[in-house]
Amino acid sequence: MTKLSPDEVPRFTREFFGGGECFSRIGEGELGGKARGLVFIKNTIESEIAAGRFPGVTVDIPTTTVIATGVFDAFVERNGLAALATSDTPDDRIALAFQAGEMPVEVVGDLRALVEQVHTPLAVRSSSLLEDAMFRPFAGVYQTKMIPNNQPDPNVRFRRLLEAIKFVYASVYSRRARSYLRTCDRSIADEKMAVIIQEVVGERHDRRFYPDLSGVGRSYNFYPTGGATPDEGVVNLALGLGKTIVDGGVTWSYSPAHPGAPPPFGSASDLLRNTQSEFWAVNMGDAPEYDPVAETEYLVKSDLHAAEMDDTLRWTASTYDGQRDRVVMGTGVDGPRVLTFAPLLEMHDLPFQDVVSALLDASGRAFGAAVEFEFAALLPRERGAPLRIAFLQVRPMVVSEAEVSIEDDELASPALLLASDRVMGNGADDTIRDVVFVRPERFEARDTRAIAGELERLNLRLLDEGRRYLLIGFGRWGSSDPWLGIPVAWGDICGAGAIVEATLPSMNVELSQGSHFFHNITSFQVSYLAVRHDRQPNIDWDWLRAQTLVEETEHVCHVRSASPLRIKVDGRSGRGAIWHA
Amino acid sequence: MTSKSFNPFEMAQSQFDSVARSLELDEGTRQLLRHPLREFSFAIPVRMDDGKVQVFRGFRVQHNDARGPCKGGIRFHPLETLDTVRALSMWMTWKCAIADIPLGGAKGGVVCDPHNLSMREQELVCRGWVRQLAKNLGPTVDIPAPDVMTSAQHMLWILDEFEAIYGERLPGTITGKPVGMGGSLGRTEATGFGVVFTLREALNQLGIRVKDTTASVQGFGNVAQYAVRLYQQIGGTVTCVSSWDQQDQTSYAFRKRDGVDVDQLLAVTDRFGGIDKGRAKELGYEVLPGDEWLAQPVDILIPAAMENQITGDNVGRISTQVKVIAEGANGPTAPEADAALARANVFLIPDFLANAGGVVCSYFEQVQSNMNYFWAKDDVLGRLDLKMTSAFVAVSDLATRRKISMRDAAYMIAIDRVAKACRDRGWV
Repeated sequence: MTKLSPDEVPRFTREFFGGGECFSRIGEGELGGKARGLVFIKNTIESEIAAGRFPGVTVDIPTTTVIATGVFDAFVERNGLAALATSDTPDDRIALAFQAGEMPVEVVGDLRALVEQVHTPLAVRSSSLLEDAMFRPFAGVYQTKMIPNNQPDPNVRFRRLLEAIKFVYASVYSRRARSYLRTCDRSIADEKMAVIIQEVVGERHDRRFYPDLSGVGRSYNFYPTGGATPDEGVVNLALGLGKTIVDGGVTWSYSPAHPGAPPPFGSASDLLRNTQSEFWAVNMGDAPEYDPVAETEYLVKSDLHAAEMDDTLRWTASTYDGQRDRVVMGTGVDGPRVLTFAPLLEMHDLPFQDVVSALLDASGRAFGAAVEFEFAALLPRERGAPLRIAFLQVRPMVVSEAEVSIEDDELASPALLLASDRVMGNGADDTIRDVVFVRPERFEARDTRAIAGELERLNLRLLDEGRRYLLIGFGRWGSSDPWLGIPVAWGDICGAGAIVEATLPSMNVELSQGSHFFHNITSFQVSYLAVRHDRQPNIDWDWLRAQTLVEETEHVCHVRSASPLRIKVDGRSGRGAIWHA
Repeated sequence: MTSKSFNPFEMAQSQFDSVARSLELDEGTRQLLRHPLREFSFAIPVRMDDGKVQVFRGFRVQHNDARGPCKGGIRFHPLETLDTVRALSMWMTWKCAIADIPLGGAKGGVVCDPHNLSMREQELVCRGWVRQLAKNLGPTVDIPAPDVMTSAQHMLWILDEFEAIYGERLPGTITGKPVGMGGSLGRTEATGFGVVFTLREALNQLGIRVKDTTASVQGFGNVAQYAVRLYQQIGGTVTCVSSWDQQDQTSYAFRKRDGVDVDQLLAVTDRFGGIDKGRAKELGYEVLPGDEWLAQPVDILIPAAMENQITGDNVGRISTQVKVIAEGANGPTAPEADAALARANVFLIPDFLANAGGVVCSYFEQVQSNMNYFWAKDDVLGRLDLKMTSAFVAVSDLATRRKISMRDAAYMIAIDRVAKACRDRGWV
């Protein structure tokens, strides 16, 4: 993927939908990583998925305009915000200071023109320069905001759009972004932010606006199950907005080579419990409260009953038959709905799977590397109506080719600290001596927010000292629900070189296996190991407590081993282990 | 009142007559529009600081209010004439119409020289002016604004007297108020920025990238400063500005071939827009005779100082490189120069389109004042951009379609809009 010259992208002509260009720019400067990916996928679609290859299917990118990095520079400079980058100002104050700033006069006319003609939801996303330069994901570091953009008064729509842009801008200066940049050996002075304003692909149903499904396709599968192989790739699907997938929520995962393969669940009731039951949509009604510095200000979570009322389950749901403990494809009979996407993946009435596979192939070839892309789809409600698949972003994946093997006798070693048969990543490391672990004897789910704060501070200190560390905690790392895990963002733990996600009797949940931080973990080649408390061997807590204590907070310990830990992760077999000698 | 050989009202009527013929307006409409609807001429007695009473002459001319309440400034000038005020009120009607804001045109004035009046005496003149006119002013009738030798302070006195008469707060009666006292954010920048919004659209239409262009600007007052600032922000390079030197009673041009720095120049500029030539030299500027701004080898000229600056005598000095002239000042181009520029294929953005940003923002101020709810600056400037761009596109489309000059097209649109409003109301 070659560097994108701003001149290759036409200027915004003040016609968002009718201008003949689905991709345009506002302002001067660079366009950032996401924008580059979008142009790339647009070109790939045009060359590889030529018109007519899939009759009745529209494959495109949503109408998009990019506010170039020069506008961010002008915004920061003219509003005197640069000093915040090196200050100790809390993130919420930074966000408010950005909200109080004035958008550069050069672009306000274009933005005003945009909202005057568009009345449907818009996604405002970051597209940073370093993201572009480093091929590094900034998911969970920079913000995205969806706005309904349906207020009758254009003045209100204009203000909401500006608030969303400033919200995304402010995330560049957040503490978490600064920490993250340090792990990349970059400073905030190197960073510049472009902002993507993109049509939200979806349809309005009552007060909700969402696509029939969102998906993430990866041409390399870090967790192959059944007969699948890593190179066959993997696709995750979810009803509604892609936030469910990006946040590492419960999604439907399948191999493009085996779309109809049975899911890895022991029973139909297991399947019912472990499939998506809620989905995200843009809230087209009144926002519960005015909060321009909240990402979810205009988002709403609904359950499958609402989706059924919206008639959006036709292609995506099956039905649980409790009497026979089985799942029946479709929604033709009464019963609890289960999001298995079976009508779409198994019935072949729509070429959905063929298009996704073709795109995975084509973009992989064009990149010359494994790729990952996000998409949204609108499925036909009537026979003959078109299927629309819109690609929201694409990026290359970092896949380690190192040969790592873990022998059984190694796992029997008394120096074993922990072992896992559910890992992510691939490779070996013997440089880490620091361990930050959540104290198991003190852990309670109600304290997870406080634990996140303690971890953030420890992470900052270790970043200052230039020490990578092993992080051990309980529940789903990065969970948005603090009762299911520790609600950190990637920037709060970005100095970790290896991460262990463990369970406890009091936190016995389905582990995330790194899905919240998938992009970051794969990109930075962080080892990720899931360890269940009820399986042997367990974590050697006694050894950890015997190490030199560097710092102890209410819920977290930082210890240092005299010699480096030995970490091995075999991504092919899914096994990993850590030894202390 | 002093009579002058040049009668601006006759010139305004002559311009109108020409366009009226092109529009084939009926005789009734022509008669209505070539004269003001209402004229007020009155005496303002003021007890001066020395205890004597002096009587000043005041005017207000409301040319046309078919499209909305009248709008126009108040001038304090010793040579003020009723005919000048009449002409200016007519031009205000056309300016509001071309910007497509729902206001009509007016102008007012007092024959006086504020330099010879104390602040107290000026306040009494303002209050006396309002007392004579109170019945015919107001947010829904006629909304004055600052103009020659009147300021935000004069507007506040006028507003205060008006509100005292009516016994209520009516901030929409006046525009040009200070921010925080009913003024609008963005008003200071509006005229200069508006010039550049139209310039940007002109370059876009001509297929010229802003960053490939250079410009020379006459003046360094409010309009010029903000025009230079925004033009440079969008990628252009201003190589020359000019300013009036009060001490030498002449103007100078300040040239820097790699681009002037507005903030640097502002640091050596007095409050009237006069640049200190000695300090400018130290900063690396070439100091040239004042009229050299016109002869620079640039792509764009922005006259943003005074009327009648590009004439038949000096139009030949304009470089053949010049492609666009954006008239930031009122009436900077004489008719004979206009014709020569058209022959040279120079794209000219006429004054009452290019500098309409000021009145558009005044309209925004009035709207905000009436609501007593004030917008953020980016709100104001976003709306201003759209208004100015829409106005430009309408004029440019007509000019292209009818193969006429931008100035003629602008007049045709403005006069047609006002004539239509008069017809729709059943006046003609």
